Amino acid sequence: MVKAALRLVPAALGLVLATLLALTSAPAQQRSPAPRTAKLSFVGLADNAKVPGKFTVRFAVTEMEVAPAGQTRRNTGHHHLLIDTDLPPLDQPIPADFNHIHFGGGQTETEIALTPGKHTLQLLFADHAHIPHDPPVMSERITVEVVADPADKPRSSAAPGAKVFFVDLADGATIPSRAKIRFGSEGVAITPAGTASQNGGHHHLLVDTELPALDREIPSDFNHLHFGRGQTEVDLDLPPGEHTLQLLMGDHDHVPHDPPVMSERIRVRVVAAQGATPASPAPAARARQASPNDATVYFIYPKDGDTIFPTSTIRFGLRNMGVAPAGVAKPNTGHHHLLIDTPTPNLDEPIPADLNHIHLGGGQTEQRVTLPPGMHTFQLLLADEKHIPHDPPVMSERITVTVMPGGPRATRRR
Amino acid sequence: MRSSPTTSSRSIAAVLAALAACLAISTAATAQTAGRQQAPPGALVYFHYPLDGLRVPERFTVRIGLRNMGVAPAGIDQARTGHHHLLIDTDPGPPDQPIPSDYNNIHLGNGQTEVIVTLPKGRHTLQLLLGDHRHIPHDPPVMSQKITVYVR
Repeated sequence: MVKAALRLVPAALGLVLATLLALTSAPAQQRSPAPRTAKLSFVGLADNAKVPGKFTVRFAVTEMEVAPAGQTRRNTGHHHLLIDTDLPPLDQPIPADFNHIHFGGGQTETEIALTPGKHTLQLLFADHAHIPHDPPVMSERITVEVVADPADKPRSSAAPGAKVFFVDLADGATIPSRAKIRFGSEGVAITPAGTASQNGGHHHLLVDTELPALDREIPSDFNHLHFGRGQTEVDLDLPPGEHTLQLLMGDHDHVPHDPPVMSERIRVRVVAAQGATPASPAPAARARQASPNDATVYFIYPKDGDTIFPTSTIRFGLRNMGVAPAGVAKPNTGHHHLLIDTPTPNLDEPIPADLNHIHLGGGQTEQRVTLPPGMHTFQLLLADEKHIPHDPPVMSERITVTVMPGGPRATRRR
Repeated sequence: MRSSPTTSSRSIAAVLAALAACLAISTAATAQTAGRQQAPPGALVYFHYPLDGLRVPERFTVRIGLRNMGVAPAGIDQARTGHHHLLIDTDPGPPDQPIPSDYNNIHLGNGQTEVIVTLPKGRHTLQLLLGDHRHIPHDPPVMSQKITVYVR
């Protein structure tokens, strides 16, 4: 309590006042009094209002005055806007973070940006030390809904009767772990992503996932596969077990149509191909795993032609795939291999493990190396759980770097 | 879910361990507490891009670096690994709870090390937090500094 009091008063008076306050033994924290009739409210913002993603919030207070934080005058305080959070403890300073926005300069309005969806807003007045008054002066907690501006991005309309469906694949079907899935469509023109056309669109295959929000771009990840070049089939690799598949048409901006053109969500059962039993790592196990067409592995540091220190950390980037430790079988993942001063190995065989082929089997995404001075080449090659490169191989350019005992002399790019 | 390593991959792992001495990967799993996975000493997650205070376009790629640990997809229970979470305009929750999955907490559950995000114009905060196979932060949590970017 003494500590709290010390925080409240100017340092010069601190000792005297702290003693006084300790003697009078006030209950709990020192909260500034507020008139019971004081009211705090939002200006022109009603509960359940629909708002754009970025808007101005205005605050009004009655029976009290706004003063910047730090000024100890009776019946004054400053605003705090609580976003998506409950009331903080009322006998302590209001936390300062992105859910508790302080207006310590005495502002009475602010512009905030919120993600689409529902959010709660509440105003809470607090004194010079950011502690709410007694009784607390606060507004109702209101809910606002951020809607994507419809005028900004109208959803493409779908032709009446347009539909998409799986060709020769019914609900409950059993398919091998690598299966060709064909997409059929009626009444909708297949056009590549980025090409606006009347009622046109491209396929998206939703794997093991619920329908995404229909008023915005379909996410692009391993559960939402885009066929932006207008493909109508895919070789899908799935681990054995139950999976769900659904087709959803997206327009040139990947936004579903209005009304959405989508198929039923079907369940499929994936069984391992014959011969791939754990007991016999036979031909099937040797097959190279498929990689996404747009997967890329690249050097974040160093870049081609850079001059580096003898001991440097080599950092790897990977686009459109994930990293998994060696031994972990999961579609669209692999682990890095750093090839130093060696040509690209045979892509049908496991990558050798020696001083020139460094395996990052723990899922590492960077590696510290020590090299003798001179010219060296680096290349990155991703491989699956058995160290076999993917098909098509995911490998980087072979870059050349110069190792100098003094390190980079020229200005270095980041 | 995790397939048992074959003898060949185990011997490769042994060679690897000798090679990557500076990383000191021990094949034995580190001691696990009842709840949270231990973070190896020196583990660090950081932003390659963007950096604190940078002005960025509305759609940009966040690139993630990880030191002294490895990346594994969610669901893979392996010591010294985890998967990335990108926290946008939010604070980390209690460290002993799974990281929520919503628009503010983006899970990179397939072991991704970069992600494209689209943000409205204005000021935003980004923070990285590693989660284990059950999406629970390590002990101590492996997280980056909270950085601020300005979307123009």
